[in-house]
Amino acid sequence: MTKKPKLLSLLDILCLILVPGALVLILFFTPIERVMGPVQKVFYFHVSAAWAGMLSFLIAAVAGGVYLSTRKQKWDWLSLSSIEVGLVFGLIAILSGMIWAQPIWNTWWVWDPRLTTTAIMELIYLAYFILRSSLNTPESRARLGAVYAIVSAATVPLTFFSIRLFRTIHPVVIAAGGSGESAFNMTPRMLLAFFVSLFVFTLLLIDLVWHRSRLARLQAVNRGEGV
Amino acid sequence: MNPFRDYLSAVWNILRKDLQVEWRGRQGVPVMLVFSLLVVFLFNFALQLSPDLQAGLAAGLLWVSLAFASTLGLNRSVSLEQENKAMDGMLMAPVDRSAIYFGKVLSNFSFTFLVGLVLLPVFSLFYQQNMFKPMLVLVMVLGLGAYTSLGTLLAALSIQTRTRDVLLPVLLYPLALPILIAAVESSRSILAGQPIADYQSWMTFLLAGNILFTAAGLMFFETILEE
Repeated sequence: MTKKPKLLSLLDILCLILVPGALVLILFFTPIERVMGPVQKVFYFHVSAAWAGMLSFLIAAVAGGVYLSTRKQKWDWLSLSSIEVGLVFGLIAILSGMIWAQPIWNTWWVWDPRLTTTAIMELIYLAYFILRSSLNTPESRARLGAVYAIVSAATVPLTFFSIRLFRTIHPVVIAAGGSGESAFNMTPRMLLAFFVSLFVFTLLLIDLVWHRSRLARLQAVNRGEGV
Repeated sequence: MNPFRDYLSAVWNILRKDLQVEWRGRQGVPVMLVFSLLVVFLFNFALQLSPDLQAGLAAGLLWVSLAFASTLGLNRSVSLEQENKAMDGMLMAPVDRSAIYFGKVLSNFSFTFLVGLVLLPVFSLFYQQNMFKPMLVLVMVLGLGAYTSLGTLLAALSIQTRTRDVLLPVLLYPLALPILIAAVESSRSILAGQPIADYQSWMTFLLAGNILFTAAGLMFFETILEE
C-alpha cells in the first residue's frame, strides 16, 4: 500500500475548514430572501450537491473510457468511486430539495420533470451496483461497469434536454438569455456564497472520490486481485 | 469482394436467421403480444379508468405495454444464442461483431414493431378512437428503433451476469426513460390531432436517441462480448 499522498492530506484539511466555512457564510453573511425567507438558504448546498453529483457521473464515464482503452485497474476504481460518491451527492440534492419544497410548494414531492429525472438518474446509478455485484470476475466487473457508466452518462444530457421541452415548476438558476442585465437573479452576497459553495463541494467531491478509490485499491489487494 | 456488401450480408443473415427461428417456433411475438395485452388489462383494472380518462391515457398505455413486452423479446433474443453456445459460433465467424449487433437490433425491432402494429387496432377498439395514423406509425418506428437499439446492447450486457435476464429491466427502463417520454408525448399530440409543429421537437429527439444508442451499440457491443 502506498503512503497517503501529501496533497490528499492537504485536501482533507481544506475541506474540514472550508465546508463549515461555507456554512457560516451561508447562515450569517447572505441576506434573507424577501419572498421565501430563511428556507431559501437550502439553495446553496442544494445546487452545489446536484453539481457535484453530475460532475462525478461525468468523471465516472471518462474514467470508464480510459479503463477500456488502457485496461488499468486504477481507472475502474476511480469510476466506481465516482459513482458511489455521486449517488450520495445526488441524494443530498434530492433531500435538500424536499426540505425546500415542503414550505414553498407545500409538498415534499411533486412529479415535476426535473425532480423525476433526477430521481431516475439515481436509479440508473443504483443499477450500476446491482450490475457489478452480479458479475463474477473483477475484469468483467470493470469492463461491463465501464460500458454501463459511459452509456448512462450519455443518456443524462438526453434526459436533461427532454425536460427543457416540458414546462417545469422547478426554479431555473441560470436563465438562458435572461431579460435582465445579469443571468443570475441574485444579490452580490448571494452570488459570492453560491460560488464558494460550488467550489467547496467540488473540492469535497475530489477528496471523497480520492479516498474511496484508495479504499477500492485496498479491497482489491485484500481479495488478492489487485496490484 | 466489396467489404460493405459483405457487412450487409452478415447483418441480413443474422436477421434472416432470427426471423426464421421465430417463424418456425413462434415463441417470441405471441408471448410479447399476450403479455402486452395483459399489461393493458391490468392497468385498466388497477387504475379504474373512466372512459374520458382512457382516451387521454391511450398513448401512455400503448408505450408502457410495448416497453414491458419488448424486454421479453430482447431477453429471448440473447438467451437463444446462449443455448448450445450459438453465440460463440457467431463470434467465431469472420465478420465484424457490430454486424451481429445490427442484425440483432433489426430482428428485435421487427418483432416489437409487429406487436405494436397488432396493438394499434386493439387500442382503437378499446379506447374508441382511430389509432391508425401514419404519424403514429412513424413515431413507433423511431421510438421502438431507439428502444431496441439500447435494449439489445443492454440485453447482451445483462446476459453476462449471474442473475442473467432478470437484470435487463432494471438496466433498461431508467436509461430508456427519455425515449419513452418523447414517444408518449408525441403520440399523445398525434392522437389529440395537434399540428406537427407541436410535437416536432419530440420527433427530432427520438431521432437523436436512435443515433446515440446505435453509436453506443457500435462502439461497445464487441467490448461487452469479449471473453
